[in-house]
Amino acid sequence: MIYVCYGAFFIAQPAKGFNGGAGETARIVFFHVPVAVLSYIAYCVGAWHAISVLRARSKPGLAGRNSDADRKSAAAMELGFVYCILATITGSLFSGAQWNSYWNWDPRQISIVIMLLVYAAYLLLRSALSDRTDRRAELSAVYCLLALVPATFLIWIVPRLPWLMSLHPTEVLAQPKNTSLDYKMVLYPSFIAFFMLFGWMLQLRVRMMRLLSRG
Amino acid sequence: MMSGEVNLKVCDLSHSFEERQVFAPVSFALKGGEAGVVSGANGAGKSTLLRIIAGLLLPKSGTAEILFGEQSLNAEERRSQIGYVAPDLNFYRELTAAENLQFFAEMQGRILTKAEMIEALTHVGLRGRGRDPLRTYSSGMRQRLKYAWVLLQKAPILLLDEPTSNLDAEGTEIVKEIIAEHRSRPETLTLIATNESDELGWGDFTVMLRQTL
Amino acid sequence: MSGISGKAWRQATFTVFKKEMRTELRSRVSISGIALFAFSALILLTLATATLREAQTIAFSKMLDGMTVEAIAKLRYPAWDWVSKMGLLWILLFFAAFTGLAHTFVQEEEAGTTLVLRMVSPPTAVYAGKLLFNFMLLLAVMVGVTPVYMALTGMVIGSPFVLLSVMLGGCLGLSATATIVAALAAKAKGSGTLFSALGLPLVTVFLLLLLNAASTANTIDPSALRLLRDVGGLYSFAIGVIALSGMLFPYIWEE
Repeated sequence: MIYVCYGAFFIAQPAKGFNGGAGETARIVFFHVPVAVLSYIAYCVGAWHAISVLRARSKPGLAGRNSDADRKSAAAMELGFVYCILATITGSLFSGAQWNSYWNWDPRQISIVIMLLVYAAYLLLRSALSDRTDRRAELSAVYCLLALVPATFLIWIVPRLPWLMSLHPTEVLAQPKNTSLDYKMVLYPSFIAFFMLFGWMLQLRVRMMRLLSRG
Repeated sequence: MMSGEVNLKVCDLSHSFEERQVFAPVSFALKGGEAGVVSGANGAGKSTLLRIIAGLLLPKSGTAEILFGEQSLNAEERRSQIGYVAPDLNFYRELTAAENLQFFAEMQGRILTKAEMIEALTHVGLRGRGRDPLRTYSSGMRQRLKYAWVLLQKAPILLLDEPTSNLDAEGTEIVKEIIAEHRSRPETLTLIATNESDELGWGDFTVMLRQTL
Repeated sequence: MSGISGKAWRQATFTVFKKEMRTELRSRVSISGIALFAFSALILLTLATATLREAQTIAFSKMLDGMTVEAIAKLRYPAWDWVSKMGLLWILLFFAAFTGLAHTFVQEEEAGTTLVLRMVSPPTAVYAGKLLFNFMLLLAVMVGVTPVYMALTGMVIGSPFVLLSVMLGGCLGLSATATIVAALAAKAKGSGTLFSALGLPLVTVFLLLLLNAASTANTIDPSALRLLRDVGGLYSFAIGVIALSGMLFPYIWEE
């Protein structure tokens, strides 16, 4: 993590292909892209545990696992919410520096904002169910999985809708000649670092929830 | 239709809401032609036990099995085999009594004839009230209508939760008759949850539910 | 759906649908709620965009001399294009749906009839019957509202086939999402607020697809393939939601 923070500012050569300045703004990619990817992966983790919440239902002996899977699912969704906000903010900062406008209704911006709404709705449902803990695990798992259809569309379809024009520099970055070796040397560890950070935060949150429910 | 001898087996069954256990594990068995009574203080979980047996609630531990011969029924299959009467079982207030009965019958793929309907309504003393919407019914009349459906359903298993709540003396007599008639057949079984001292003697044995501390 | 034949299931679904229709015809709570909302929103919309109409009149007034009667008549409408007219119509229908479509489930919870329905019906038949009912309800409201909306905003029909398939697909997706979310919100003893808060984020994605299909239909000469793909996207969302709901509904319904 420290390496990434240091590397983002001092090691990597600015990426080519970004107009205006020397591509200094591309440094935010080290933070923005992993966070944005994780904000969707968090949903996948949440949905995965939601499935095991529902599967445990048909086997009464697994009632204990049920509540643990529920905690994991909820923790992943909470983190997804946080990462979604971070991705929105970092993306907006980049957009402001690059195009002089913090918000362009870019399809990916729309996607992430709707994803943010879905996360918020999930958390709202959980807090609305706080007095019905016997049903909370299953009902919130159902909502989490129900969001599977919109989430699939948000990740794969919406950014490609012909009706919406994207400004995202995906292609610019994907071309090998535009980025130097040391740029990649920071970007890939950055992914690993953020993934590890996510896993660590998830574990921490689950343990915290376990302790709270015991007390 | 289900074949073979009907049996109810409850084994180490207990349930809990959130962390609180409702009743200590119970075990008992009922054979065809038998009737059992479940009793216990308020909140001891009589209704919960009946709901679990009806397949309306998943138990937290233990099992409640309904067997026809060797075949064990799952939650969905058993519902059509069970006549269930309970205080929190409400029929549709916007529909008339006849429409309610017809709706339940159609859900099971039957169409009730007028004669069948009149016979059932007469049996429970609601003759001539079939066309009134249920919202005009008193609570005692609604309880009687539940028995009309039990008569029409002809299910081999009867689960009665507080069977005579809201009923007058005449209504209680009707229920008694229905239970006696039901018990006279060997391929049926009856389970009653009650605290009324009169009704405690309606079964062959009594299961006491105890709360755990 | 274990242990029940297809015929029995269809019978049960249809019986639930019939029961919903009968109750609804007696109380008319849902239909009047949705229709009232839709029409009041329509009036508000026209009032709120009065300045748009004025702006258009002023902009064109210089050219008034050479204008035909039809062109002058057009000035009474706000200056939106076809896609935004379609979008606003759907936003209107979205909010209308989220005021009324929860009623079938909330009613069951409030009257305490869920227990008896669970006794007599397989869960998926309850979902299918109520989905069918909500779909018909929304369709009825849409058939009533759309012509009035068209008259007020001057939205043209365009290709009738495209319009019809977009409208039908929109109805299907919207009622599918609303039905499953209604079941969820009713179990959560939630008010209407929870219902809309849970449902609207999900249908926002659907609105994007709808607008995308509408914009494709609006281009001068859309290729049949693109049209098929964009309208198909609409239907695949709806079918995805229905299939997923069919799997998830028993977990909401059973305790």
